[in-house]
Amino acid sequence: MKDTPLSNCERDFLLKAIEEKKRLDGRQTYDYRKIKITFGTDYGCCFVDLGKTRVMAQVSCELVAPKENRPNEGVMFFNIELSPMASPAFEQGRQSELSVKLNRQLERCFRNSKCIDTESLCVVSGEKVWQIRVDVHMLNHDGNLMDAASVAAITALCHFRRPDVGIQGDEVTVYSPEERDPIPLSVYHMPISVSFSFFQQGTYLLVDPCEREERVMDGLLMIAMNKHREICSIQSSGGIMLLKEQVMRCSKIASVKVSEITALISKALENDKKARKEGGKFGFAESMPQERITALKKDETSVEMSDVSEKADEIIQKAEVPHQTVPSPVVPVAGVGQIGEDLQHTWGLDDEDDDEEEEHKEDSDEEQDEKNMDVEHEKEIRGCVVEISDSEEEEVIILQAEKPGKTPIKTGSDSHQKGAAAASRKRPNK
Amino acid sequence: MAVDMRLPTLRKTVALQDAAFDRKDLVVPGDVITSDTGFMRGHGTYVDDEKLTASVAGEVQRVDKLICVRPLKTRFNGEVGDVVVGRITEVQQKRWKVETNSRLDSVLLLSSVNLPGGELRRRSAEDELTMREYLQEGDLISAEVQSVFSDGALSLHTRSLKYGKLGQGVLVQLSPSLIKRQKTHFHNLPCGASIILGNNGFVWLYPTPGQQEEEAGGFYTSLEPVSLSDREVISRLRNCLLALAAHKVHLYDTSVLYCYESSLQHQVKDILKPEVMEEIVMLTQQKILEQEG
Amino acid sequence: MAGLELLSDQGYRLDGRKASELRKVQARMGVFAQADGSAYLEQGNTKALAVVYGPHEIRGSRSRALHDRAVINCQYSMATFSTAERKRRPHGDRKSTEMSLHLKQTFEAAVMTQLFPRSQIDIYVKILQSDGGNYSVCVNAATLAVIDAGIPMRDYVCACTVGFVDETPLADLCYAEESGRVSSLALALLPRGGQIALLQMDARLHQDHLETLIEAAMTACKGVSKVLDEVVRQHLQEASVLTGE
Repeated sequence: MKDTPLSNCERDFLLKAIEEKKRLDGRQTYDYRKIKITFGTDYGCCFVDLGKTRVMAQVSCELVAPKENRPNEGVMFFNIELSPMASPAFEQGRQSELSVKLNRQLERCFRNSKCIDTESLCVVSGEKVWQIRVDVHMLNHDGNLMDAASVAAITALCHFRRPDVGIQGDEVTVYSPEERDPIPLSVYHMPISVSFSFFQQGTYLLVDPCEREERVMDGLLMIAMNKHREICSIQSSGGIMLLKEQVMRCSKIASVKVSEITALISKALENDKKARKEGGKFGFAESMPQERITALKKDETSVEMSDVSEKADEIIQKAEVPHQTVPSPVVPVAGVGQIGEDLQHTWGLDDEDDDEEEEHKEDSDEEQDEKNMDVEHEKEIRGCVVEISDSEEEEVIILQAEKPGKTPIKTGSDSHQKGAAAASRKRPNK
Repeated sequence: MAVDMRLPTLRKTVALQDAAFDRKDLVVPGDVITSDTGFMRGHGTYVDDEKLTASVAGEVQRVDKLICVRPLKTRFNGEVGDVVVGRITEVQQKRWKVETNSRLDSVLLLSSVNLPGGELRRRSAEDELTMREYLQEGDLISAEVQSVFSDGALSLHTRSLKYGKLGQGVLVQLSPSLIKRQKTHFHNLPCGASIILGNNGFVWLYPTPGQQEEEAGGFYTSLEPVSLSDREVISRLRNCLLALAAHKVHLYDTSVLYCYESSLQHQVKDILKPEVMEEIVMLTQQKILEQEG
Repeated sequence: MAGLELLSDQGYRLDGRKASELRKVQARMGVFAQADGSAYLEQGNTKALAVVYGPHEIRGSRSRALHDRAVINCQYSMATFSTAERKRRPHGDRKSTEMSLHLKQTFEAAVMTQLFPRSQIDIYVKILQSDGGNYSVCVNAATLAVIDAGIPMRDYVCACTVGFVDETPLADLCYAEESGRVSSLALALLPRGGQIALLQMDARLHQDHLETLIEAAMTACKGVSKVLDEVVRQHLQEASVLTGE
């Protein structure tokens, strides 16, 4: 499915905000989003949350024949899956440009930098070696897939334990985890990628772009480093032109970020190790009840409440005098009822009418129908003026034609049944 | 049947006089032409930091305050009044799309063609439905540029009896920069064929029509067999055109005619051999200099 | 590969060059008559052929047309006989697709696409013989082809691959040097403004060496640009003599 295009005003707004050094989620220009790392039950499975971007990495191993030109080294295979689950713009099955790009970047970042000791993966030279396969699945796309994928991949590799092997002459026995403890992989260093996005022909720079920022950016620079300040990979993409000073500055910022993230990963690995040792519950299933999985969970944000009363008073004073409210409905002609504030004919001007009514609301937004019913009930007792507070929808007036003069019941257009229920509930009240 | 085979030979390097090295008006992309801000910027240039810089490789042309750089080879940039030869690529609603070797396909509106029979009337819905009977995909037409759209696409018209669908003949595709601009592009050569030199580099050779019959708005194509002598003349002309194009000689009716005359001593198929080509072109260039000098 | 010394004590490399020496560059423009622009370039033993068509109307899907600029379409492929072992898949595999994307990105930065709305420029590059520095040779060949086609560009685009061995940057790597686990950096540069169109680096390199490596790459690219400049001017002069002006 083709992605919804970004509207021009949204684009302008984002660019203008970036010029003023403001970001949509309130971060500073060099700030990362919150990173959360959780592990699954098996060794080698890990989930990484980078803000709302969610990625899962799984490491598995298999005994295969080695490559001909490297007979005593193991094989590493990386694969990134972009499924439509992450974003409707990704199509199932087709290898899009983005998929190729991410795959190649991940390969170059990990394979060429020799982060894993491949020679230790050799079982029988020239015949059998371990093939380590890292599969990264994108679960939710909210920008910066590359960084999340690299963190997930290296964490999963550090977490993974491969089965122990015993060689007796020509026979090779693979021991299951119950027989012998599985062995971790020997990781030399942990390459982490940091993405920088450029705007307005390279004038402005942001770290860790979210999805909206990615849409308006001119280009991207990805620097992968490890905590020893060694650069593992640099890749610039998009049609931007960089200057050498910009690249140097980005590499300095990257080294700071990488050390932070590496510390986080080490802590997460340690926590998991402790949890497993203590025999406590761990893993994927465990994280569900604590709602660690829900992607839409938002942390509580504090709201400034001190000056609310003054503001409210101001607003009320400045507001116009509410229109004369008619308590009971007026029926000028059979089949037509008017109830509400102004008694003017507003058949063709429904929006204006709704807006006016909304201004005079004093209730805050409440989505629960129960409360709605109560409000309705209250107001009806007061003066038969029924308002639905969250009325963004057209108000539907249901008239009962059999008995003229009966109260027409206003219901929101959310569901006829609810309206009918309300109606049926209200009738006995009368 | 004898087959002509030849071994690879070293390409002849063009003899450059010393003066050629000092030519200041040949620029490459990125060359600063001038830092004077008093000049207007034309095609092939851009302003970088208040300096007028070239964006193509070619020669600088200055007309009063306007500086532009004309590249050696480029797609056809049409101007109003140019004669073009093009091929229909698409039949759309109320217009045809014509391929003319330019940046975008040119447009031939239904209202810009002459209806068969030469009548002048409003185009009706029926005309729209029968567009395909006049011009289909793959037909060749000769037309004139009426106007240029803002994105560079040309709008063509065939509102004269001399334009319209082309019948039997030979099309030669060359570079537009080789065609010299002249008053008329339709010539009846004395050697017995006619030629249309399209400004877009497409050249159409066809047998001279016997009598000026009622062209019926330019959509009537005669399918009578062409005589052998006519065909030989046309083939010879085509090979001469290719020879001239290979040596980057400007094409106009006189140069084509001289080339034809110089080639009469060779057989038609020999004209395509490199050494024969050179000989013929040299003779042609000599003749042209004589005539002009 | 352990026994092969990439940089000897006297400062000579495997093929006898010094550390900052480039390989011999030979190029020719206008090799194909029917294409809008074409060029053939040799850098040492690496040979590449580039062909440009355009700008022309977008064929195929109209939806890909951009209303304000031209679409650049690049395809990179290697001839099956270009490597020591016959290449099974000349194009369509991941590496070729990645190279095509990089070429497209490089030329989108340099070509002035805003002058040709709703049209398409095709760049096809084929490697005839591969001896290291594939990407750089492709970029250089494609630059010449684009200039031959008369498509406006801001400046030349020159590319070079540099490696880092024994604290010294080596300019213009050949295949033996590239496969020897050397940190290599490929850079595409617009020489006059010093702007980097593409930067790509593999293998481990300490951050402190990054600046020296980029500097060395920029110097090498400027050297390549001088050679390309000569080739273009030569071609221009030959053509102007032929047209008799």
